[in-house]
Amino acid sequence: MEQLIIVVAVLPLISALLIQLFSKRLGRGSARLSVVMTTLSFLLSAVLITWSLTGHEPQALSIGNSSTIILFDPLGALLAAIILGISLIVHLYSVRYMAEEAAYGQFFVLLDLMTAALLFMVLAGDLITLVISWYLVGVLLYFLLGQDTRSQTAYRFAFWTVITYRIGDLPLILAAALLYNAYDTWSLTFIFNEIMANPHAHQILGFSLTQVVAGLIALAAFARSAQFLLHTWLPYTMDGPTPVSALMHAGIVNAGGFLINRFAPVFVNSGDVLNWVFVVGLITAIFGSLLMLTQNDIKKALGYSTMGQMGFMIMECGIGAFSLAIYHMFAHGVFKGTMFLSAGSVINSARQDDGIPKDELYTFAVEKQPNRTRLPWLLMAAITLVVPLVILVFAHLLIAEDYFQKQGAVILLFFGWVTGAQLIFATYRMRSQNIWRMVGLSVVSLVIVVLGYVFISHAFDLFLYPDETFREQLYTAASIDVLRFDVLVVITTLIIVAGWFVTYYAEQNGHRRRKQSKRLWLNFYALISREFYIGDIYTRLTRTLLALSGRLNVWLRWL
Amino acid sequence: MAETMIILLAGIFLPLFPMSMVFNAVLDNVKQPWLKVILFITWPLCGLSIVFYSGAAISEWVVILALITSTMYALRMLSLREVNQWSGFLATSLWSLLWLTIWQQNTSEMLLYGYALGMTVPLVLLLMLSAGLEQRFGAAYTGLYGGLARTIPRFSGILVTVIVAAIATPLFPSFFIMFDMVVETVAVMPLAAIVLLLIWLLWSWAGARLIQGLIVGRASNTKIADIGVLTIGFYSIVLLALAIAGIYMSRVIL
Repeated sequence: MEQLIIVVAVLPLISALLIQLFSKRLGRGSARLSVVMTTLSFLLSAVLITWSLTGHEPQALSIGNSSTIILFDPLGALLAAIILGISLIVHLYSVRYMAEEAAYGQFFVLLDLMTAALLFMVLAGDLITLVISWYLVGVLLYFLLGQDTRSQTAYRFAFWTVITYRIGDLPLILAAALLYNAYDTWSLTFIFNEIMANPHAHQILGFSLTQVVAGLIALAAFARSAQFLLHTWLPYTMDGPTPVSALMHAGIVNAGGFLINRFAPVFVNSGDVLNWVFVVGLITAIFGSLLMLTQNDIKKALGYSTMGQMGFMIMECGIGAFSLAIYHMFAHGVFKGTMFLSAGSVINSARQDDGIPKDELYTFAVEKQPNRTRLPWLLMAAITLVVPLVILVFAHLLIAEDYFQKQGAVILLFFGWVTGAQLIFATYRMRSQNIWRMVGLSVVSLVIVVLGYVFISHAFDLFLYPDETFREQLYTAASIDVLRFDVLVVITTLIIVAGWFVTYYAEQNGHRRRKQSKRLWLNFYALISREFYIGDIYTRLTRTLLALSGRLNVWLRWL
Repeated sequence: MAETMIILLAGIFLPLFPMSMVFNAVLDNVKQPWLKVILFITWPLCGLSIVFYSGAAISEWVVILALITSTMYALRMLSLREVNQWSGFLATSLWSLLWLTIWQQNTSEMLLYGYALGMTVPLVLLLMLSAGLEQRFGAAYTGLYGGLARTIPRFSGILVTVIVAAIATPLFPSFFIMFDMVVETVAVMPLAAIVLLLIWLLWSWAGARLIQGLIVGRASNTKIADIGVLTIGFYSIVLLALAIAGIYMSRVIL
């Protein structure tokens, strides 16, 4: 089995090497070779995950007398299979999509190298392998995004990506250096065992080492997963080839969630770092979703949607639901990959039919169709608030009766409830000829999604963190003072309910909007349309730095 | 006093500002590519030899000045467009960091010479490629012609790999040297470790700007000769050897 694990990780590397060496002779066959190798690797990873699911112990593999290079545990096994699955889809899609590109063979070399780097990243058993693969993912992504070397724009935004990724590399390198200095080993297993045995044995600058390392790891994860203030690269990297966008949004950007999961033993003992992780995730989720709603470019909207999802994933880590973040990563990967790969056909069909609903007067007078109706508002409000809550509570009670004792679970239920209510609320606003059918469909889909989400995430929990005590520790580490928690829940509920009332009021009295509120609304819209001026601020900072660099050169006569 | 003088003299070869300007002035005046190559290889080795043979004790102010020098040259690289000058500034920024390792006294003299060579070899390759650009276009200048990836794809492939190797990217030696420096420094001077990481970031930024200025853009209308298979073989073997040396180094130093 050990050999099989190494073969899975090395196959994409062999494929890249063969294509690089024989690309001229292989011609279009480069793609076929790459697809065959990825398929083989994927099938082997499926065998390995089955092996892992049957309860075998994690495997640690070394080369020579080095510390552990590969750690094959449930997290690594699962993510390796997911990466290879997504990579295989992207490979298959690229065979025809990239056929007209000049550097066809080179594209598959880069794609294979990226797959290998990602595999080594999730299977890394020591800090050096982890840092190297983490770093290389950024470098390879830069060249994949800049596949079209004629496009200045593609490179401009590929540069944004690589520089953000490099910013994210720095805290990881620093964390690795600190851990090595403290424990005198690169082996992750050894370091984690030591931390679990004695969490606060080491100090740095008067702080607990585990706390500092957790903060640094969180920063690295934020940069990779496009968290607020480090997100500007994500919506703009759309000039790269579509398969690369799919791979990036479905796989690479999720690496932040993986990193936090990999360092779970550090986060368990990290004080209030997880609370900050939650705050950053929450802000990102809100800003990402807000910006997504205001985009008129489908790919950019997808970019901001990914940002929102990444915020939610990091937020899940922040409440201690680590395995849920991995499930989210998987679900989002499949969903977003599909969306990117089908974006082209959506744009194509939109050119034939814009899909904008016709005016009500037109459908009534010209098409002779009856007016669409709505349910009474109060009844709908009751359904909106009660149905999602009942579904969520029922679903969670099926798993664990003490679910409501965990703060993280309460937050997740809260978000689930708000999302479900929002879905039904949106259905209500849509107007339909058969409103009951529409509401019914919404409720059924909500039940399926919630039950699926709850059961699958529970299965992920048992697979990734089989030790129940450790699972409890994760939730405890993310908890805050009960009074503070209750106050926050109440305030958030009030804000959301107030938001619904404002929306209802605006719907009823839209035409009577006052001048002052109109101006406020326009200012808010301007702020959002400029994406909170964050990109502008970074551009200004960059220009200042470049000007300083130039001025220094002039002063020092270019010597 | 004598010790300070020795350090100041060594500061010409293992650059310490303002003595660092000497190297860049010399480089600016050397026109022959082979002379530049010799200059690059011998310069840091001379600096290390001066320090080792004199046995001068390194004070903390030398380390701070070295960090300032390295940061300043890394920052100044951002606005450079001429490839030779860029190589000179990167060399200055890289070599000045050797003071840090000398000060820590954890690395053997032989290994330090290895560090200097590991940092320099990619820059030597870059100088050779720069000579190739001057031969083809009359100047090795970013933003002047661009589109090299389409005009001379094989040359561009090698050029990009060499730049990537020069800016301390895995699996090349300078990556492991930088990693080792951070590991050794963070325990004694955490702030210096953060400065090291920022310098590293600036190199990446400057490297990306150089790559973009040279390879991105539409193909040239005039036919330009690409490099031959033998030359590619030579560069590939050297780069492969560098990567192997990097992996070997990782086992020795980390």
